[in-house]
Amino acid sequence: MEDKNIFGKLLAIVPGLAIMVGTLFVLRVYVEPWMSQVTLFGYKGWLVKVMSLNYIVMSILLGMFYRNVLFGGKIPGWAEDGFRTTRLFIKIGVIMLGSLYTFDKLLKVGGVAITLIVAFVFGTAIFILWLGKRLNADRSVSSVMAAACGVCGVSASVATAPGVRAKPVDLALCIATILGFGIASMFVSPYIGKLLNMSDYQFGAWVGTGILNSGQVLATCLAFNPIFAPGTAVAYGEIWNVVRVISIPFVVFFITAWYWKNEAAVERVSLSSIIASKFPIFVIGFVGMTALSSLHILGAEGSETLRVIREVMAWVFGVGLVGLGAYIDVREIKAAGGTPLKIGLIAGLLKYLLALIIILAFIPKEGAF
Amino acid sequence: MSDKKKSLTVFKTDRHEDIAAIIASAIIVAIVLIYMAFVVPSVNLNAQQDGKLTEVFVAEGATVKKGDKLYSLEVVKKKWKDNVMEEKHVIQEFTAKANGKVLKIAGKIGDKVKKDKGLIIQLSHQRGTLP
Repeated sequence: MEDKNIFGKLLAIVPGLAIMVGTLFVLRVYVEPWMSQVTLFGYKGWLVKVMSLNYIVMSILLGMFYRNVLFGGKIPGWAEDGFRTTRLFIKIGVIMLGSLYTFDKLLKVGGVAITLIVAFVFGTAIFILWLGKRLNADRSVSSVMAAACGVCGVSASVATAPGVRAKPVDLALCIATILGFGIASMFVSPYIGKLLNMSDYQFGAWVGTGILNSGQVLATCLAFNPIFAPGTAVAYGEIWNVVRVISIPFVVFFITAWYWKNEAAVERVSLSSIIASKFPIFVIGFVGMTALSSLHILGAEGSETLRVIREVMAWVFGVGLVGLGAYIDVREIKAAGGTPLKIGLIAGLLKYLLALIIILAFIPKEGAF
Repeated sequence: MSDKKKSLTVFKTDRHEDIAAIIASAIIVAIVLIYMAFVVPSVNLNAQQDGKLTEVFVAEGATVKKGDKLYSLEVVKKKWKDNVMEEKHVIQEFTAKANGKVLKIAGKIGDKVKKDKGLIIQLSHQRGTLP
């Protein structure tokens, strides 16, 4: 398996990828249009319009069903490589989302996004380090949790773990906690947003601030409003998401520097080396796509060309989101417990609710673009 | 379980995955642009919003330039203003996005149209431009 040549590797991807693409095809082409026509409780399209059961949510649910029911908790070897393209599809989608903006639009909301993200990311990290001390948690546990709840779920906690010498079991507990929290917020947030009559701008800003994982931010925004266009929830949420992802190396450095304070025997690394190794360079692709859009190279707003690009983007994301669902292992979430669960739930909920209050109080419903 | 099996990516590292994502998105966009500019001979312009067709500004066979008005729709425009959703009936004009020729006018004034459904105008575009 390990010695496959490039063609062997590509071939190994096919079965899992075929399941992901096939699932999305059936959901988008047959299931969602059928559900939009079904009348329930006297309301045509109740399942899609009221319950937000669009193809995005169904993709994730079906992915979860594959892993946890059909495959008995583990993606089988023959499909594993295909499902491991999940993050690739989400990253391609994020880069293509850059086509929704021009630099002047980014500048309009960029300041608000940076202010909120920096305040929440570092505020959460500092709060968790303090809370960990109060709860007598191991310093490495607090550090990993601070990274996980502060900035970007799994990526940041995995990136921080070696620097703060976290044990694998602690890392697993932290990941289980934040995954459980992220999944719950992913399904609940669209209903809260509709209940509170939030605008796309407010919802994107809230979800981008309060949810911890790129895929989950995008899925939640698309569950709220499945349209890919400037001024929609996903367009605003992604700006927040990109700012948060960019902050990963800085938060990792901040937390590891805090850990080093009382540890003499750890290998210290510089901020520049952390940036060099951890900076998510796919963000450069996102900026590049925004540059093309700003120069009107991708076609005029309202053109058929942009419509086709956005249609392709929707398919790319959809495939990634089937995979995202398939990476949700219910047994892993059940394993959450102990101090990481306490810290994660307190900090995660506080961040989620505080972000909601601040957004409702200070962010107008009227979008910036 | 090997490290490879634990990995969430098919690539050697996350960095490789990032680079692959940039390359793949560039290829996808390039394919769409080339396809639209050089392969597609004409495009069907469906309504971009739900509404009522109020005017068609061009005739079949007419040559249009980028920016020329094609048709207008009466649409309900929703906009948040002072934290209240305002709904206004407005006439919105839609323009040509590239130089070309009107092949067919299928929409009739007064037709109620649904977003992305129902052809209004079929337009050929100059080769190498993005319709």
